[in-house]
Amino acid sequence: MARSPVMRATLAIPRRPPPIRARGSVLLAILGLGVWAFLALDLTWAQVIPTAAGLRQIGEFFSYALRPALSYQPGEVPDGSPSLLVQALLSARLTLIFAVTAMSLSVVIGGVLGFLGSTAWWSGDASGSRTAIGRYARRTVAPAIYATTRVVITLMRSVHELIWAVLFLAALGLNDLSAVIAIAIPFGGTLAKIFSEMIDEAPRDAADALRGAGASGAQVFCLGLLPRALPDMSAYALYRLECALRSSAILGFFGWETLGYFVKQEWENADYDQVWTYLYTLLLLVVLVEWWSSGLRRRFVA
Amino acid sequence: MTARATTVHALHAARPRSRFLRFSAVGVAALVTWAWWAGRFDVADLFSARREANLMRFLEDVRPPALYGKPWDWGVALDWAATMFTSGHQGAAFELPSGWEALRITLAMSIAAIVLAGLVGLVAAFPAARTFATADAFLPGSERSSVARRRAWTALLIGTRGALLFVRSIPEYIWAYLLIGMLGISAWPAVVALALHNAGTLGKLDAETVENLSPRALRALRGAGASREQIAAFAAIPSALSRFLLYFFYRWETCVREATVLGMLGIVSLGYALNEARIRGRYHDMLFYVLMGALLVLIGDLVSAIARRAIRKA
Repeated sequence: MARSPVMRATLAIPRRPPPIRARGSVLLAILGLGVWAFLALDLTWAQVIPTAAGLRQIGEFFSYALRPALSYQPGEVPDGSPSLLVQALLSARLTLIFAVTAMSLSVVIGGVLGFLGSTAWWSGDASGSRTAIGRYARRTVAPAIYATTRVVITLMRSVHELIWAVLFLAALGLNDLSAVIAIAIPFGGTLAKIFSEMIDEAPRDAADALRGAGASGAQVFCLGLLPRALPDMSAYALYRLECALRSSAILGFFGWETLGYFVKQEWENADYDQVWTYLYTLLLLVVLVEWWSSGLRRRFVA
Repeated sequence: MTARATTVHALHAARPRSRFLRFSAVGVAALVTWAWWAGRFDVADLFSARREANLMRFLEDVRPPALYGKPWDWGVALDWAATMFTSGHQGAAFELPSGWEALRITLAMSIAAIVLAGLVGLVAAFPAARTFATADAFLPGSERSSVARRRAWTALLIGTRGALLFVRSIPEYIWAYLLIGMLGISAWPAVVALALHNAGTLGKLDAETVENLSPRALRALRGAGASREQIAAFAAIPSALSRFLLYFFYRWETCVREATVLGMLGIVSLGYALNEARIRGRYHDMLFYVLMGALLVLIGDLVSAIARRAIRKA
C-alpha cells in the first residue's frame, strides 16, 4: 500500500539530532585549539626522539621499575642516614602529616566559606523575617556577604599551592607551617566552592518539611539540609586528601623533606632504583586513600 | 514508656549503620590528631623577629621599583604592569618573558596536554571497562570462550587499570621533572607530564562511564553481528560523549592550574618567569606573574563552565 506524503510525515519517528553532530562544534573547537597549541609551542617530533645517551638513560631508569632498591648500595650509604626503607617511611610520614594537617584546616575553611558562599542560608522569602532589621539583613547584608565570599573563594583557589608555597618561602623562609598553609589555602577555596554547590543542590524535602513544622532557620539548615549534603561532602573531602598527598609530595622540590625531595635527590644522583622506591611509596599512599574514599562513596550510595 | 517514645527508640535502633563508616570517622579523628601532634610545628618561629623582618622586606620589595619609598600610586603601578605585560624584562644578566608570552605558552601547554590526554583516555577507557574487556562481551550466556582467551582479556583489563592508576598517582610535577631529565628541556616534558596524569584520570572516569551504559542496546548490536570495536565506536562513544566532554573540561581546568607551575622546572612559561623572578629577588615581578597565573586560571574556569553548560543543554 502506497502511503501519501502526508501519511509518511505523520508516521515518521520524531527526528532527533544525530548523536555526535549535536556536539560536533565542541569537538571541532577542541581539535582546532589542539592544533593551535602544538604550533604555538613549536613542538616537533625531533624533540621527543631521544638521543642515544638519552635512550640509554630511559632504558636504565625503566629497567629498575620492577626492582626498586630496598637498601642503599654498600659504600654509598649517606652519612648519618637511616636505612633506605626507614628514610622512605619517614618522608612518607612527613608527606602524610602535611597533607592531613592541611586538609583539616581546609575542611574548616571550606565549611565556613562554603556555608557563607551558598544561597541556601539567606535566599528565599525575605518577608518571612519577623523584624524590619531581619528583612533588611536578608535583602542587602546577606547577598553582600555571599558575593564577598565568592570572590575570596575564587582568589584562594586560582593560585596554585606551589605558588603559595613559593610566596611563603619568599616572605617568611622555610617553616613547616607555611607548607601546611600553602596547601590549605587553595584546597580550602576549592572545598568551599564544591561544598557550597553541594549544599545548594542537596534535596530540599527534609528542609521543607522541617520549615513547615515551624523549625527555625538554623534548625532547618543543620537538621534538614546539612545531613543531605554531608555524604557527598565527606566523600569529596577524602578525594581531596588524595590530591593533598600529591601536593605535599611535590613540596619536597622546594626544600621540605617530603617524598618529592628524595625523588629529586636520587634522580640527581642517578640512583634510579631508589627513585622507584620513593615513587612506589607515594603510589602506595595514594592507592590507600583512594581505596578508602571509594569504599566510603560506595557505602554512602548504597 | 509511652508508645511514642517506643517508636522513636525503635526507629533509632533501626537506623542504618555501617561499621566501615564508623571506623572511618574514628580513623579520621585519630589521623588528624596524630598529624598535628607528630608535625611538631613551630608556631613561635613563624612569629619570630627574624621572620617578621623578612616579611617586612618582602612587603617593601613587592612594590614596583618606581614606587620604592614613595606612597602608593595606582597610575604608576598600572603603567609598570602594562610594560611587564607587553615586553617583560630584558636585562644584561637575565630576561623575563612578557606577561602575554607567558600566558600564551602556558595556555598552549594545557590545551596540547588535555587533547593528548583526552585521546589516550578515550582509547584506554574500553580495555579498562569491565563490560568491554571480557571475552564474551555483551553475548548472552557466559563462558563460551576458552580459558586462555578469558585470562588474556582479564590480564588486559588489569594491566590497563594498573597503568592508569600508576600514571595518575604520580603528580604532574614529578612526571615533568623526570621527563626533563630524559627528553631535555622543551615544552614536551610539560605537555607529556600533564597528559600522562590526566590520561590516567580521564581513562578511569571514562571507563566508569562506559561501564554504566545501559547494556541493552549494546547487546542488541552484538546480537546483530557487530564487533566489539563497532559497538565501541558507533554505540558506546556517541552515547557517552557528553559525559566524556564534561570530564574533559573538568580536567582541563586542573590542567591550566598545573601548567602555571610546571615552568618552575625550567620550561619557559609562567612558572619559569615566576621562579626566575623569585631567585633574582625581584619580588614585584614575581607578584606580577602570580597575578597573571590567577587570571589564567580564572579564564580557564570561566571557559570550562560555559562549555560544560553548553554540553549539558545539548
